[in-house]
Amino acid sequence: MSTTDVAPDPDAAQAAVEYCYEQGWSDGLPLVPASRPLVAEFLAAAGRSPADVIGRLPQLEREVTVELAAINAAMAGCLPEYFPVVLAAWEALMLERSTQGGGWQSTSGPAPLIVVNGPVRKQLGFNCAGGAFGPGFRPNATIPRAIGLIVRNAYGIHPHELEQATQGLPGRWSICLAENEEESPWPPLAAEAGQAAEASAVSATLLRTCEFVDNRHTGSAEQLLADFADTIGRSGAWIFRYASAGIVFCPEHAQLLAGAGFDRAAVRQFLAERSGRSTAELAAVGKDHCDDNGVRGPGDGASRPEFQLMLPGTDLQHLLIAVAGARNAGISMVIRLFGGWSGTAVPVLPAEAVRPA
Amino acid sequence: MPNAILDPTGRAARAPAPAPGLDLAPRRADLAGARVGLMDNTKHNAALLLSEIGKLLVTEHGATVTVEATKANFAAPAPEDLVERYRQDCDVVLTGVGDCGSCSASAVADGIVFEQAGLPAAVICSDAFVVTADAMAELRGAPGYHYLRTPHPVAVLTTDQVRQRAKQLLPAVVAMLTSAS
Repeated sequence: MSTTDVAPDPDAAQAAVEYCYEQGWSDGLPLVPASRPLVAEFLAAAGRSPADVIGRLPQLEREVTVELAAINAAMAGCLPEYFPVVLAAWEALMLERSTQGGGWQSTSGPAPLIVVNGPVRKQLGFNCAGGAFGPGFRPNATIPRAIGLIVRNAYGIHPHELEQATQGLPGRWSICLAENEEESPWPPLAAEAGQAAEASAVSATLLRTCEFVDNRHTGSAEQLLADFADTIGRSGAWIFRYASAGIVFCPEHAQLLAGAGFDRAAVRQFLAERSGRSTAELAAVGKDHCDDNGVRGPGDGASRPEFQLMLPGTDLQHLLIAVAGARNAGISMVIRLFGGWSGTAVPVLPAEAVRPA
Repeated sequence: MPNAILDPTGRAARAPAPAPGLDLAPRRADLAGARVGLMDNTKHNAALLLSEIGKLLVTEHGATVTVEATKANFAAPAPEDLVERYRQDCDVVLTGVGDCGSCSASAVADGIVFEQAGLPAAVICSDAFVVTADAMAELRGAPGYHYLRTPHPVAVLTTDQVRQRAKQLLPAVVAMLTSAS
């Protein structure tokens, strides 16, 4: 039955929405009630066995099957054809060590950061241009919400119970970028993370928050990167010996850098060598010393001039670089990673690629 | 008849859990001569707090500290071989500090595992994480599991303040590990 055959019944719809709230399934916003025929469409789109286990948290005695993921994706408002992207995003997140441990329960309340590459962006109508961090576009908005509902419902991690976020962050369960490959001067992120250049693939990690760098009045790549180095090196986000970060460049910044000869690796090299603070500056905020567990705290109080680098190296696992947004201003986003990033993209597989021929 | 609304939790299809309830390990009358195991979870000040309480158990109650080990992954329950080490070499265990989202829950899970292994256990959690600690106890079939609460925050305490905290906790630790309670 298509939705156009019969006039929708708002009272029945509302009763169903309320039913979902009453069960404790909602993240606070209305859910699409999932029916067997709707979920069957999701399962058909992915071609995976419904019983396949795709995530397990032994400490909570909970697991996620393909079917449970499909039910939650349907409830999040995804279309069935988004489901292969949901599964790829989930799989990419499972490559992060923290998602196998206590990440979802953490006081830092980290958000998934999902980056989509390849033809699937256009096929499914992802936004990769203006307003890349949302809202306004169904696949960008509903796919990360599906991840959040899986964590809530299949893992049973609810706020104020097993989820202990102190403040959480704006945009938790709502950050799904599609890379602006058309206006990026560099190869797709997924290509750098191990997939073919034209592949549809998803990269994902956990982030603690984002901070903008607005710099639209210099033509110097070095000045521009120095502004990023300063923002990346802030002490507030720095709690262990090293910290990992990332940048979602707007096309204007990326093109300026590429025009000056910087590829992703050169950007990383520049920032790894310059992002940080002096020991004296860190001492002023009680973070100049690392204990045996690598946790920063106050040191001996001696004011030393040496510079402490924030990034542990120049590898992509510790500085994720993507390009998204409109070509209309020099505004980019520094992202704060919860841990490192796996550095590995996961291909989006349509049903015909999964099912044996 | 309309379609049913599907359950996204996977819990409906699950076999009913066994009746909740935890049989605590048998308690000694006192800790004289008891072999004490300390298991810290890497949280800031945890090792210091446990070791200070351990010293007091030695000097004031005649116990011996036989194992002082670290659970490397604070988010997960203690691995079996580590639990076995305590079972072999200790009579009672003290562990903590539950001082974060995942480690408070897993500290309680550890306490329950120790009790099931026959070891009286005292788990210390920051009082900011009571809800998640209780949720884990319920999940492990031990609703109402009793652990020790200490005022939050623990991580910012100085060494002297941690010693003070150890003294404050000592009577409750002894009560929890013996039949004196």
